[in-house]
Amino acid sequence: MKKITIANRNNTTYEVKGSRPLLLELRALGLDLPYGCQYGGCITCAAKLIKGKVDQKSQVALNNRQINDGYVILCVARAKSNCTFDIGVESHDKLYRNPFIDPLAPHELKSDIATVREIKDD
Amino acid sequence: MEGLCCGPGYASPSEAVKAPSEKLLYTIAIYTGTGIQKPDYLATVDVDPKSDSYSKVIHRLEMPGIGDELHHMGWNACSSCHDDNSMSRKYLIVPGVRSNNIYVVDTATNPKAPTLYKVIQGSEIKSKTNLSGPHTVHCLGSEIIISFLGDAKGEAPGGYLHLNKDFEILGRWENTMGDIPFSYDFWYQPRHNVMVSSEWAAPNTFMPGFDLEEVGHLKYGRRLHIWDFKKKKPIQTMYLGEDGLIPLEVKFLHNPNSSHGFCGAALSANVIHFWKSENGNWEWEKIIDIDNEPHSDWPIPIPGVMSALLVSMDDKYLYINNWLHGDMRQYNITDPHNPVLTGQVWMGGLLGKAPIVNGVKVAGGPQMYQLSLDGKRLYVTTSLFSTWDNQFYPEIRTKGGVMLMIDCDVENGGMKINKEFVINFGDEPNGPSRCHESRYPGGDCTSDIWL
Repeated sequence: MKKITIANRNNTTYEVKGSRPLLLELRALGLDLPYGCQYGGCITCAAKLIKGKVDQKSQVALNNRQINDGYVILCVARAKSNCTFDIGVESHDKLYRNPFIDPLAPHELKSDIATVREIKDD
Repeated sequence: MEGLCCGPGYASPSEAVKAPSEKLLYTIAIYTGTGIQKPDYLATVDVDPKSDSYSKVIHRLEMPGIGDELHHMGWNACSSCHDDNSMSRKYLIVPGVRSNNIYVVDTATNPKAPTLYKVIQGSEIKSKTNLSGPHTVHCLGSEIIISFLGDAKGEAPGGYLHLNKDFEILGRWENTMGDIPFSYDFWYQPRHNVMVSSEWAAPNTFMPGFDLEEVGHLKYGRRLHIWDFKKKKPIQTMYLGEDGLIPLEVKFLHNPNSSHGFCGAALSANVIHFWKSENGNWEWEKIIDIDNEPHSDWPIPIPGVMSALLVSMDDKYLYINNWLHGDMRQYNITDPHNPVLTGQVWMGGLLGKAPIVNGVKVAGGPQMYQLSLDGKRLYVTTSLFSTWDNQFYPEIRTKGGVMLMIDCDVENGGMKINKEFVINFGDEPNGPSRCHESRYPGGDCTSDIWL
């Protein structure tokens, strides 16, 4: 079993198996979470992972910057360790950005179109 | 509110113009993506100026669960079955873009308080047709087709769901998608045996939000497609290029003999005019080009984002919006090759021209609209799509959407925001919601087609 802590819900904890998506496991335990498409394509259920590991390889909604900022698509992500999350729109401070004012670098795009970042020697 | 004959709708566009004024209006309102854990709903708005509850939401039909993102909708029947007395305009078909569910709402038993008649589960649609991301609903005589933007996994090009009049799934409508890369809106004109479809993007591209770089990576559309309507297959592609980035809404003139139509290219902020030439090929031209506007916070000028477009029932005026700029415009299209700007009003937007309208601070800009059949009252809402709202107008989360009404001068042209009418969806009982598309019980300017 994995212990899931929801930091922005008074550090409430839940015990999940990690065998099913976190959205399903946590909702079954009574946590009210937003969701939309339920296949990893639409971002509505995104939460921010503060600590721990998840497997969300089937998500197709997040760009690489959002992944680097810790966002996790709960409708497809499975817990691989004990995890701490912020959930709901309060956790979306970096999820949504004006794409004209703050454009993505080529390596920050979604994985299917991102270019590999060049590592320069200092 | 129906015409003189036996079936739904009106014998002709000119009969529709003479219909009694609308008294009720239905608009969808969403909580998806807002942080409020409540279902999206269909709001009934009182638009009868003689009523005590004028300019108020008088009923809310909640969907069964959260997370649908209701968006566009359409009628089970329109003037296309005006001569069929077994049909009536009774049901509003309301898809959820994210959930893939389709809700059939009975608006006739009690027009002020519609009820849920049937739910077509998104999972059933996926398993039977491999479609997701529903958008435009049109009836075809007694049957119904709905454009979907993706396959069951949210990848383009999607296709068309075919329902019978009892809202049972018949399968895919089209025989082939041909080379079409993306789907979005469509309109058909039966006397020319033509359908025109446009291109947004795959659900997996547009649902999470907008990234400009994905336009450069050809993840967004830039074409219009001409279909042989009877053969249900695309026959000609009009590549619009930089003039037609993200071509969204498509409308023909209401006159069923006309082959002229229009499309609003959202990111290019251009109106594309298309028509059938004498040799039978379809041609297009750019007839309106909205300049991008400078803004001190933006590194590049702001595009208009022309997300919708509407033709008055008498085919005299074209209405367009610039969601990011904040203006609604009226053009006289008596000569469709040479539109003349005849009206413009401002509400919200990023340019700061009209931050407060009728006492309400407008979050968002003019986005969806519905025009009365007589062409005099244009109802406008301000939310585009939850994730895109959150990117460009983050304050809409706490302020909600707004519905305003514009008085339109159908004789001389001109637009003026009506000072008596405003609905602040920020004050809804469950918290700020966002209003989007609207429809009238008696038919409207974005649904009726004549055979």
